[in-house]
Amino acid sequence: MNESAPAPETETSVSSTVRVRVWDLPTRVTHWALVVVFGVLWWTAETGRMEWHRWAGYTLLAFLLFRIYWGFFGSSTARFSGFVRGPRAIGEYLRGTWAAAVGHNPLGALSVVGLLGLLLLQVTLGLFAVDVDGIESGPLSLYVSFETGRAAAEWHEIVFTALQVLIALHIIAVFFYLLGKRQNLIGAMFSGQRSFDKAIAPMTPGTWPKLIVGVVLAAAITWAVSKAFQFS
Amino acid sequence: MFASQSASPTLKRQISVIAATAFVTLAVAITAVAATPAETQAHRKEQYKALGDAFKTIRDNSKGEPDWAAVEKAATFVQKVSVEQVNWFPKGTGPEAGKTRALPDVWSKPADFTAAQKLFSDKVAGLTAAVKAKDSAALGAAFKEVGGSCKNCHDGFRAPE
Repeated sequence: MNESAPAPETETSVSSTVRVRVWDLPTRVTHWALVVVFGVLWWTAETGRMEWHRWAGYTLLAFLLFRIYWGFFGSSTARFSGFVRGPRAIGEYLRGTWAAAVGHNPLGALSVVGLLGLLLLQVTLGLFAVDVDGIESGPLSLYVSFETGRAAAEWHEIVFTALQVLIALHIIAVFFYLLGKRQNLIGAMFSGQRSFDKAIAPMTPGTWPKLIVGVVLAAAITWAVSKAFQFS
Repeated sequence: MFASQSASPTLKRQISVIAATAFVTLAVAITAVAATPAETQAHRKEQYKALGDAFKTIRDNSKGEPDWAAVEKAATFVQKVSVEQVNWFPKGTGPEAGKTRALPDVWSKPADFTAAQKLFSDKVAGLTAAVKAKDSAALGAAFKEVGGSCKNCHDGFRAPE
């Protein structure tokens, strides 16, 4: 895609580092949207604003579906095949013998898969959840009994706690990189670029047609789910 | 047909209905008196849970074409609870009798609590009417009204989870 190219600062840069494109715009927008919407979901749940909670939940579902789609058809660093690796690569990374490349490192990949997987589980549970009074419920609770809906709501709380733990770990990790290893991963998730000591192959962006297909797909599926697949 | 008998079958039936009603009333009264505070707590908890189940049935059916038989059954139960619940909070069934989400205000502000309970039974009248008329639009509106009356009481008299 036609994003503004990184400034050609490699020659004039004071330090000897090279700026390299790491994340494309769709991946960055999705990341920060998930952060904001997660906050809204937390707040609306705590304060009992369930109509808003449902809308925020649909928004999260749409971004999540897009991110999963982008993990197969998106930019090189967004693709799961590009960063999900086995225990051997994780071992190499931990020993410092893993060859540096743009994108998630083998250990960080676990965090990405864990967070996306838990979010998907969480939003699915929410779709089927029923409150104790049978007044508030997710759109798909229509298809399950009161008991099952209540169980979904209880798991919704348990998985929320698990998400809090994983998010805390994720935040601790990026701050460890910032303060301990002097690598600004947070800034990279805003600018899409990171400094490296030497020239390194940049990310390959996705294409516009694939982006449009992904956005339309995510929106359509989310809309159908919010309507509980009843289109009359 | 049975001229020799002193009472007509209709009258006999009426007498037996009255007798049965009296018996049931007495039995309920005795049970109510005999129930321990813990039993009363368990009973109302179970009934409110069943109320949640009934509400879900109505909510599910307020979208699209309702299954009126199921809605009627659920609405009948809601109506029953809205009447009976006034007897579910006798003195001594608060936190002192065991774990409950019922707040002390239930007993310390009886007028407010009774008003909140009455709002519920008042709103249920609209629900019953919508079910009787088999009016799905009115059902959805009535459900919202009843749900609001539930929330009204829960906000003031039920501890958050």
